[in-house]
Order: sequence, then structure tokens, then C-alpha cells
Amino acid sequence: MMKIHFLLFTFLLLSFTACDDAQDANTDIISHEGILDIQEIKTKSGITIWLVEDHSLPIIAMNFAFKGAGAALDPADKQGLSQLASNTFDEGAGDYSSEDFQKTLNDNSISIRFVSNRDYFGGQFKTLTKHKDLAAELLHLALTEPRFEPEAVDRMRNANISRIKHSLSKPQWVAARFLNDVAYEGHPYAQNSGGTVSTLGNITPEDLHQFAKTRLSREDLHIGIMGDISAAQASAMIDNIFGALPETQDLKETASLQLQNPGKTILYEMDNPQTIIQISQQGIAKTDPDYYAAIVMNYILGGSGFGSRLMEEVREKRGLSYGIYTYLGHMDSINTLQLSTSTQNENVAQTLGIIAEEWQKMSDAPITEKELQDAQAYLVGSLPLSLTSTDKISGLLLNMQMDKLPISYLDDRSAKIEAVTTEDVSAVSQNLLNLDNAVTILVGKPSAINEDVVIKKDIPNAE
Amino acid sequence: MAAALLLSPLSASAKADNATPPERTPLFNAESFMLDNGMQVVVIPNHRIPVVTHMVWYYTGGADEPRGKTGVAHLMEHMMFKGSSNVPTGEFSTRVKTLGGQDNAFTSLDFTAYFQSVPARHLETVMRMEADRMQSLLMPEDHVISERDVVIQERKQVTENNPRAHFAEHLNTAAFINHPYGRPVIGWMQEIKNINRGDLMDFHDKHYAPNNAILVVSGDITAEQLKALATEIYGAIPPKEIAQRDWTDIPVVVGDVEMHHSDPRIRQNSVMKIARAPSFRQDKTAALSLQLLETILSDGSNSRLYKSLVVDQKIASNVSMSYNGSTWEDGKIWLSATPNDGFTNKQATDALMYELNKISQNGVTDTELSEAKTRLTESAIFARDSLSGPAMIVGRALITGSSLDDVEYWAYDLNNITAQDLQNTAERYLNENNNPFVTGHLSPAIVKEEDQVQ
Repeated sequence: MMKIHFLLFTFLLLSFTACDDAQDANTDIISHEGILDIQEIKTKSGITIWLVEDHSLPIIAMNFAFKGAGAALDPADKQGLSQLASNTFDEGAGDYSSEDFQKTLNDNSISIRFVSNRDYFGGQFKTLTKHKDLAAELLHLALTEPRFEPEAVDRMRNANISRIKHSLSKPQWVAARFLNDVAYEGHPYAQNSGGTVSTLGNITPEDLHQFAKTRLSREDLHIGIMGDISAAQASAMIDNIFGALPETQDLKETASLQLQNPGKTILYEMDNPQTIIQISQQGIAKTDPDYYAAIVMNYILGGSGFGSRLMEEVREKRGLSYGIYTYLGHMDSINTLQLSTSTQNENVAQTLGIIAEEWQKMSDAPITEKELQDAQAYLVGSLPLSLTSTDKISGLLLNMQMDKLPISYLDDRSAKIEAVTTEDVSAVSQNLLNLDNAVTILVGKPSAINEDVVIKKDIPNAE
Repeated sequence: MAAALLLSPLSASAKADNATPPERTPLFNAESFMLDNGMQVVVIPNHRIPVVTHMVWYYTGGADEPRGKTGVAHLMEHMMFKGSSNVPTGEFSTRVKTLGGQDNAFTSLDFTAYFQSVPARHLETVMRMEADRMQSLLMPEDHVISERDVVIQERKQVTENNPRAHFAEHLNTAAFINHPYGRPVIGWMQEIKNINRGDLMDFHDKHYAPNNAILVVSGDITAEQLKALATEIYGAIPPKEIAQRDWTDIPVVVGDVEMHHSDPRIRQNSVMKIARAPSFRQDKTAALSLQLLETILSDGSNSRLYKSLVVDQKIASNVSMSYNGSTWEDGKIWLSATPNDGFTNKQATDALMYELNKISQNGVTDTELSEAKTRLTESAIFARDSLSGPAMIVGRALITGSSLDDVEYWAYDLNNITAQDLQNTAERYLNENNNPFVTGHLSPAIVKEEDQVQ
């Protein structure tokens, strides 16, 4: 197994910095030496950080997320609240007006970006080492003293409404609206986390202040850091940024979810030369013992792009599409296996037929040894390619914690993939693959569809 | 050697510090050499992790297609994955994947590029595969037909399913009258449908040769190691006689070009404007000035355009100016705005052009200029924080006629640009009286019922 040692003298450097900053005597560090030398640090205010030190470039990247604080908590009549918060936390804070805040970021090449999705609210912060203290102060202010001035809130609301109107002409976006609405019916996931034209109009600056006060806590916070910073410095920096946040928040837990409306096919007519096809069915958790067999199965079925069975049948042999992909989706309330492709309107029925055949074939017959070996070779061998930049690594460190994976995950991963057998893949395929329980969304003007299609006229959760 | 310098944080921060005059230090510490057959080789060492990105850039793209054969260069790129003497049809990408690598390719009007990112120990394997398809393409007839169908689907998915992209294709044609840059890279639908195997073989014969290509490798490799491999693998391929590019000229444009398109799929008005501007190869001072102008006008929410149109006047929900000068011949300036409800495209464009004219009349402040320089200079440090990024930057610059020094000392050269350069450039290229813009209005189609309701 390839070892990537970013820093051979982790311990040596650590002890030096610890002496320099005597205040950090309390800092609790567990170092994990493996593919990445990940240090797990507990700060004085009780926040856990996963850090990889790398001093080869004067850059620090930090990814953070408040688990459970995302858009699934947004009220139905205020869909887009988390999204609007992510757009306005950096529009002025403390003594900084919106203009001053943005100008200070710009002039010092500091990037602070907030992100929200259904399951969490978080962000990414990237800075040159020389501006790290200023960057930390700005992020601290944004999180603890955001201004949410009406001018900025209106401007960002406007930009979001314009984005939605622009997206209404994009068939993939339209298909995603239907997929969420149908497959997650009755659950907060059915809502549009980006908001709708009317719900965005209901959100006030006061809602955003409430968001800042009630959603963010140290308990739900996860952090990944990569770059030109020592453990002691990272620990102090994180306490400066997040230490003043409440220890806990009383957040409503999102109910778990089974895929709704299984077996339904929905059509929304749009006057395009191609039809978008999106399919979703129940998936598998990352912590499931069969997960590694499932990623091998997905790779062979449609995950790998070129070389996958679906790409071979649909694109390479028949020229029906520019691309066809499957992927395993993981959210807090549901795991999915999804497919997406597009084909010209006349070929929709044929393409759906091939998809059904490949689903069936994967469950009925074992994969070949060569397919297994090729998949394993890629899934194991390509790991270093996901570690090629500072922010890719900080993002990975965060995601591992959000997924509750152990700190040794990257080191164990190869052995687990290599242990998968063709029988394991057959077993997981038989358990998992079932198009009868899938939701299919078509957006376009398909001709001659055999299936029972429900035609819908209005795009849900957009206007 | 170079690696030590690259990895030293001191050299980077010294360069970024704008308080002192910037030193003339190279950004990537790349090295370039020529093989005997005329192929240029560039190595960009970066030893952070044991992976490499291997790229071959050809000096050929959509603008080199024969008249009436648009789409050949791009379909050619697709066919490069369909087999050569020693790599069976359909196996190129799967082989790269079993090495733990990723690969792809892209075509522009000026160039076509192929790349693989792989663990460093597999560099030689992908070099041999790439060299194989440079010289011996199988191009099976049945695959030409199925891949042509794939490209037809690609055009429908990327262009025709997207009213904005479809309209932009036509605007571009009007900006490059009588010039091959007016073509869409993917080709016009009716011409794609008629491409045959012979067209593709001709194109490969004419343009795919070591002396018409640049090899760029970034990552965990030294110049010495690469020299040995490149000499053995690419050095063995005989050069070809390459015809000079024979591109037609753009006539003086008479009349203001304004295009209108309404589409039922569109939900709000928006406006785009395109004009030609010099590329880096044609006029470096103008190109660097346009990059600084782009930063001052359009980078972030403190930029002049955003502040004026979105924050202060509230005429538009978004506005932008962008410049691309990494082209062989003329580069392009793109302006776009989405007016807020209650404002017209004309009000948005008037406000936009007013900001551009303000710069041609009054120039920019010294503070604005130095802040823009600092920002761009520091962005160069972030550019090094990537495996394939530096290879992309270097390859694209060289293949469009810039030199390696132009890339390495970009920050230094940028810092020598003056406020007067910016004002002159704005007057010459951002003023509609001196540089014609093509304007495109995109609007929702008025549906009858809605008409009655209103």
C-alpha cells in the first residue's frame, strides 16, 4: 500500500510549537500515522479537530459543518432559509459593514464560503498563512455578530430568485425538483433547500438572526484542517473562531425516511430535443457491512463512466446518450442509488429498456473476475488523486467525521475493497437492485413510452 | 533543484508581499526542452504526493477544420479513445482506470488536449498509450457512426437543451464574421451529421504529429527522469510537415449588431454583449491590462459593476465582465446582466456601459490598481495548490502562443502595468465607439393566456 507522508517529523514539530505556546498545555492530541498523518485535537472549549499539517505551501484550508443544522429544519413557508443564511453571513458582521467585510476578504485573498444542504450548515475557509489571524477574526465575527442588514438580505434574496428563474429553463434542475417532491413526499427532504420564489419572499432579517442564535453549537460542530499550521496554532484558532458559540442547541431530529411512491414514473413535458431521465431507489449506508461490495457493484453498473456496463450499452454500442451514470447517495435520513442520463426524445423507451435489463443482469448473474479486479484496482489505486490539493484534503477530513468513519478509515479502506468477492457483489445486487421500487422522472418530450406515466403540469417547490 | 524552491513557503510569501517591489521569481519552476523531432516538452515538478498529470496538447482545433466540416476536430478527439495499434478499441480509459488513474480530453477552437492523472509509477505506461494514438489510429467505421451519434446527443444535451447556450452560439458567430472563431467547437448539427471516416483520417494525418504538439507533465517527476522517457517514447515518432494556419480575416464591421431571442423556456430577461480583444500572443500589455480591468470591474461584491448596478442602483440582480485572452488570434470580452423586475435590458446595459466608459474617461485609482495586482498575485500562490492546475495553465498558455516566461513571470509583468495602460486599454477595447460589441437580448416568449391576464 502506498504511503503518503506529508510530514515525517510531526511529533518533533509539535513539541516545539507546544513549548512556544505554553498556553496550550491542555491541548489533547492523538496522532494517527497512515496514508495521511491525521492529528485528532481536542481544543480547550471541547471542539474536536482533525488536522493534517503540510508546510510545503503557505496555505491553510479549513472545512467546518454543524451537523443536523441544515435545510431540513427550514419551515415549509420559509424554504431557503439556510441557503439565504449561507449567502448573508458574510454580508457584514460586528464593526464591518457589508462592503468593509467583503473588501477585507478580497484585499487579503481570504476566502470564506458558507454552504448549506439538507443535513448540515457549514463552510470553507481558505487563507494564506500570513493572513490567518485576520481570516479567523472575520469568520468569528460572521458567526457570532452577523448583521443581516435588510439591504443585503434583499439583494441576496433577489439573486436567489433570479437563480431560480434561470434554473427553470434547465431540465436537469426541473427533474431534480420532481425527484425530491415524489421520492421524499411528506418529509422535509421534499422541500427545495434553495428556496422558492414565494418562500424566499417570506424570510426576514429577524429569521436569519434567529437562525444564527438557534442552529449553531459546538456540540454539532465538525472540523477538518489541512495546511501550513501547527496543532497548537490550529487549536487556538478554532477556539477563537467557534469557542463563544453555545455548547448545545435543541435541534429537531429529522425523521428517517423510506423512498416514497416506489414504482412511479413521472413526466413533465418540456419542449427540448432531449429527455432527461433521473431514477432513484433505496441505497445503502456507508456503515453497512455490505457497503464495500455495493461500491464495487455501483462502479461496474454505472459509477465508473467509461467502462461501466451502462455506458458501454447506452453510449459506446448504441450512441444513445452523451453519458449515463449511477451513484450511491448518502443523507442522514435516507440512502439512495440514483441514475441520471439524457437521450433524444425518440429513444427514451429504448434507453429505459436497457437500464432495466442491466439492473436485472446485475442481480441475476455474477460479475466476472476481471470486472471485479478492474473495479478494485481503480477504487484502491485512485485514492491519491483525491488528495491533490489543500482544500480537497480538509474537505475529506470533515466528511470522514460527518460520516462517523474512524480516523483509520483511509488505511482500512483498501483492504476492505480488496476483500470483496464476486459472491459479495451478487448478494448485495440481489438485495439492493430493484427498479420496481424506484421513482423515475422524465423531463422532455419523450415519444412512445410504454410505462404507466403520470403527467405533471406544475413544477413543485419552484414558484 | 527546482523542487526545493517550489516547496519553500518563503519564496512564495516574499513574492506575494506587495509592499516591496515584486521580485522576478518564477511561479511554477517549470523546465522546457525540445526533442529532436520538434516536440516541446515541459516539466512542472511538484513532489507533494506521488502522482503526475500527463498532458499532450496539439496545435489544432475547431478553427483548423475545412470549410463545411465543423465538428471534425471534436469528433476526432472522441475517436482517439476508439483504439490504436497497441490499445484495443474502447480500452484506453478503462486501462487508465485500472492504473488508479483518471483521463479525459478537451477540444477548443485553437487546440485539442488529452490528459491522464495517474500514480507516478504509471507515467511511462500512459505515455506509451498516448504516443500510440498519436501515430496509429484504428478509427473503426462502425465506431465512427456510433460516436457521431454520441456527439449529436452531446450537442442536444449541452447546447440545444439550453436556450442560453444555444443563443450564445449565434451571438458568437456575429462577433467573428468571416473567421473560423465564429464556429461552435462542437460543430453545426447539419455538418456533424455528414462527417465521415475519411474526414477524420485526413484531419489526424494533417495535424497529429510530435512537432505539432506539446507534452506537459506536472507532479512527482524531475526534468531528468522525464527527458529520458520522452526521448525514448515520443522522440521515436517521426515529424510531419505541418501546413501554416490559414485563417480568414475579420472585415470592418458596419452597423450595430443586436440580436433578440424569445423562448418559452426562459423566465426572465437578460442581456449579453461580446466584443473581440487582443489575445496574450497579440498584445501582452493589453491582455494584462484587461485582466486587471476584469478584476476591478467584476471580481467580487466590491467590484465596480456589482457595487454600481446591484448594490447602489439595484438595476440588476447580477452583472459581469470577463475577458479571455488565452487564444491564438483575437480573445473575447463578455458582458452580461440580468435586470431586476421593473428594469429593462437597455437600462441594465446603459448602466453597465456607463461604468466601462467611466474608466476610459477617468481611469482607475492607484489604490484600485494596487489592490487588483495584489489579489491576482496572491491567486498565483493558490494556483500552485493543485496537481493538474499548473499543467493546464502552462499548456494552455504555450499552445496559444505565449512563452513559458510569460507564465512564470506573469505576476511580475502584471505589476509593471500602469494606470495609464488600463485607461488606454479601456478606451480602445471597452468603448463601444472604438470596438464594436454584439448585443444579445434573451427574453421569455409571451404566452397568449398570460397576455390576457395582464
